[in-house]
Amino acid sequence: MENGGYLFAAFAVVWAGVFAYALFLSNKQGKLRQEISLLKAKLEEKGTE
Amino acid sequence: MKRNLLLALGFVSVVITLYLIFVWVPTITEMGIVERIFYLMVPMGWLALLAFVVTFAGSVLFLVKKQDRWDFLARSSAEIGIVFTTVTLFIGAIWAKPIWGVWWTWEARLTATMILWFIYLSYFVVRSFATDEHRGAVFAAVVAIVGLVDVPIIALSTTLWRGMHPPALVFKGDIAPEMLLVMLTSVGTFTILYVFLLMLRVSVRRDEAEVQRLKELDR
Amino acid sequence: MTFWNKVIAITWKDWLSEMRTREVVSSVLVFTLLVILIFTLAFGADRELMTTVAPGILWATFAFAGVLSFSRSFVPEKEHGCLEGLMAAPISREVIYAGKGLSSLLFMLIVEAIALPAFAFFSNVPVLSPQIILVTFVTTVGFVAVGTLFSALSANTRAREMVLPVLFLPIVIPILISAIKVSELALTGEPWSNLFTWFQIIGAFDLVFLAVSYLVFDFVIVE
Repeated sequence: MENGGYLFAAFAVVWAGVFAYALFLSNKQGKLRQEISLLKAKLEEKGTE
Repeated sequence: MKRNLLLALGFVSVVITLYLIFVWVPTITEMGIVERIFYLMVPMGWLALLAFVVTFAGSVLFLVKKQDRWDFLARSSAEIGIVFTTVTLFIGAIWAKPIWGVWWTWEARLTATMILWFIYLSYFVVRSFATDEHRGAVFAAVVAIVGLVDVPIIALSTTLWRGMHPPALVFKGDIAPEMLLVMLTSVGTFTILYVFLLMLRVSVRRDEAEVQRLKELDR
Repeated sequence: MTFWNKVIAITWKDWLSEMRTREVVSSVLVFTLLVILIFTLAFGADRELMTTVAPGILWATFAFAGVLSFSRSFVPEKEHGCLEGLMAAPISREVIYAGKGLSSLLFMLIVEAIALPAFAFFSNVPVLSPQIILVTFVTTVGFVAVGTLFSALSANTRAREMVLPVLFLPIVIPILISAIKVSELALTGEPWSNLFTWFQIIGAFDLVFLAVSYLVFDFVIVE
């Protein structure tokens, strides 16, 4: 099992990279969706006034 | 909905790929256990290129048709591309250390990946330094087109440049069929992941545009 | 007027303004000579070492000289409002690309025609061989093809001085590698036939990027 550490490191880098990026994106999307519903509500209020 | 289906498919194929890499495939070359890094490096390099080709296609369509959605596509793909290219460079370093004894070496493909990384970088630099958003999109599209055209010339020149001293570990003759099978499975898995991330990124971009639109209405 | 007459008119205009202001050639030339001086000073004591590193030094210097000279290609036009005039003139955008490219090529070649003998003089490395002169010419054509496009593009961004090298340098790396390789082989006395592959790469790059830049130039020149 010599050099097993390198193998582990390579797989860790790939999965950490992909997951971090995916997580970042879905977080961002969650925030954006929130903002959209907030803005829509605000606009509707304006419309009924 | 489609995206969740894709995520499930991706998950299953990741499990299969990991099983193939760590349990099923025997160690074939004299490199020992690190040869398994290869099953990551090939798909990563492939994705770095695929993402750039998609960026190129999106950029051409954007310049020709002048519809923002093509720019969304190009930009999203470029962003995923730079993530994968960065990861490829890291794996390259992790691969170089046990095989050549150094963290970095000017091996042909590593060099080419490095140059590609800088071209991706300039794609985003142009965007952030443009005076307005639309102009930035047009300029970035030009950079993507020029960059993709450069890729074959980069590949050719770096290969010839380093070609005199072939790295000792390149597979001599044909590749073992088991290795090929695992490699192709891995490429397929990562391509699914790429498509998933691309769809996610494009929809985030659409939400951003929606926020922008609503804000303008609000004003 | 035919296409080339209009192109020559633009190049002639640049030449006249250069003769009056001496803005590009003199500043780029002084910069280039200083870089050569510093490099030859740093490595020059050891003649064997100098021969080994000479191709790298030469091409690093010319690449940076290119960046400096292209950064002066469109910015003055933009600053003095001449670009609007050029664009309002009854000529196609491609004519502007060809004209500005031709004048950049002219300025770069003048700088190199002085810098190359100076380099040979200070470094004691025989870089004035026909092979190196030819490779300097074809590589400069490649530099200009890409540089003129990115010069126009970066003139319309903030922090132009930063944007231009970030765009220009990665794209020209393949011909930089080829030019260094040709110079290396030429200095070790290899025959022309061994240099042919590298000349082919540079030639292909020149043709491809002249064509591509010509096609996309319309998108980068905006007002």
